[in-house]
Amino acid sequence: MSTRKTPLFEAHEAASARIIDFHGWAMPVQYKGILEETRCVRTAGGLFDLCHMGRLVIRGPQREDLVERVFSGNFSRLRLGRAKYGFLLNTDGYPIDDVLVYRDEEEVHIVINATGRETDGPWVTQCRDEGGYDAEVTDVSDDQAMIALQGRISEHVLQPLCGIDLSAVKYYGFATGPVCGIDTLLARTGYTGEDGFELFFDKDRATEVWNALVESGSALGMHPIGLGARDLLRLEAGMPLYGQEINLEIDPLEADLAFGLDLEKTGTVGIPALKARAEAGSAREAVSLASDGGRVPRTGFGVQSGGESIGIVTSGGASPTVDKRIARALVKAGSAPVGSTVDIETRGKTFPMEVVPAPFYKRPRKKPAASVSNPTA
Amino acid sequence: MADRPEDIQYTKTHEWVRVADGEATIGITDFAVEHLGDLVFVDLPDEGQDVEAGTTVAEVESVKAVGEVYTPVTGEVTAVNGDLADDQSSLSTDPFGDGWLFKVKVSGGPDDVMDLAGYEAQLESEGEPA
Repeated sequence: MSTRKTPLFEAHEAASARIIDFHGWAMPVQYKGILEETRCVRTAGGLFDLCHMGRLVIRGPQREDLVERVFSGNFSRLRLGRAKYGFLLNTDGYPIDDVLVYRDEEEVHIVINATGRETDGPWVTQCRDEGGYDAEVTDVSDDQAMIALQGRISEHVLQPLCGIDLSAVKYYGFATGPVCGIDTLLARTGYTGEDGFELFFDKDRATEVWNALVESGSALGMHPIGLGARDLLRLEAGMPLYGQEINLEIDPLEADLAFGLDLEKTGTVGIPALKARAEAGSAREAVSLASDGGRVPRTGFGVQSGGESIGIVTSGGASPTVDKRIARALVKAGSAPVGSTVDIETRGKTFPMEVVPAPFYKRPRKKPAASVSNPTA
Repeated sequence: MADRPEDIQYTKTHEWVRVADGEATIGITDFAVEHLGDLVFVDLPDEGQDVEAGTTVAEVESVKAVGEVYTPVTGEVTAVNGDLADDQSSLSTDPFGDGWLFKVKVSGGPDDVMDLAGYEAQLESEGEPA
């Protein structure tokens, strides 16, 4: 099987990254080590090649009506220059993908998963055709590069290279302007639970921008980060991965992702089905699990309570940030309240984990200036 | 990379075995450790447990994967490396010494083992820098 390469593949090889096949893409899983890279993002910052992810642009007079039709969140209340998380749902209310939509003046940008590149564009196009919307759906995945900087030093690393005042770009806001002299859409979004930015620009300039960011960042402790640490970072921060926490058989209500839904939007594909299920109550629910050591919970392991199977682990890992084994699991509703203990089962062996509140990690809020100088100290 | 000893034997699944006075000491190679990545947990057999050559008797877990460890000898487990329960770093720093996993009083085997030259030839044929 031939794997696709991003424009940054040579840069990863030059940095001695370990390359894996990720859904048909040759991607760096780690450079120095998953734990070290996770710590690097939590304490300083990291750079991510996300060129494999998909990007759609919707243009035309009825572009916003079309987005309102296919996007599960309330798009009409989204201000210009802001981004929002939600889902593309099928008619049964199950997610085809989870996405971020960016509302720009003349167009709407939708960032989709690498796994959605074959499905999402055709789905939106089909909805456009069925509804007769005067809008154009363009898949720009192969034309654009996508790079993320994540971590507390992101603004310091990016600002010297950038013609946009980054302090004016709010969380989940975006702006357009030059980065390294290249036209860029720059958003204060990410998938790690840290402050940071995602950059979208001409793919032919990917290496140039990547190298400039590596150079600007390395003096401050920012390094390239592979997909292994990316998965751990998002799990620590309580963020879902499409295909695991949600898929065509696990809906956003069960996955505790109702914040990405507007159930009053009855004209949106999939919302009526979800609203009916919300009123009936879900039979399953997502829970967070933690333990102090021992075996690592992994996707697909069973979850038991009192010897009875109650569900499965959807994602798991060994978290260096909170120094615990952590997992998300989908279980029978009400079977695993916070504070209770469940047994994780793999190949006939079990180990205990505690049900804990989500998320595992929340970044410390910036301290107000007054608390820095403590008069009693 | 750790210097691989010439006086021990290797398996194609990346274990090593050193037999002396009827007792075998078993571990995994630097290649296996490097391949697994950040180690987080080691599951060892019980002392006194009877093990059969060619079966899985231990697991070495990393952040990303679980590595199964086969025993190349048959016999009774006489000792396990308890230091690894809390700290797996010796597997990375000294895989052929302090990073040993378990010892077996040999009643059969070792089976399907090779010398250092054979092992390194295998690594090379797998496209890995030996």
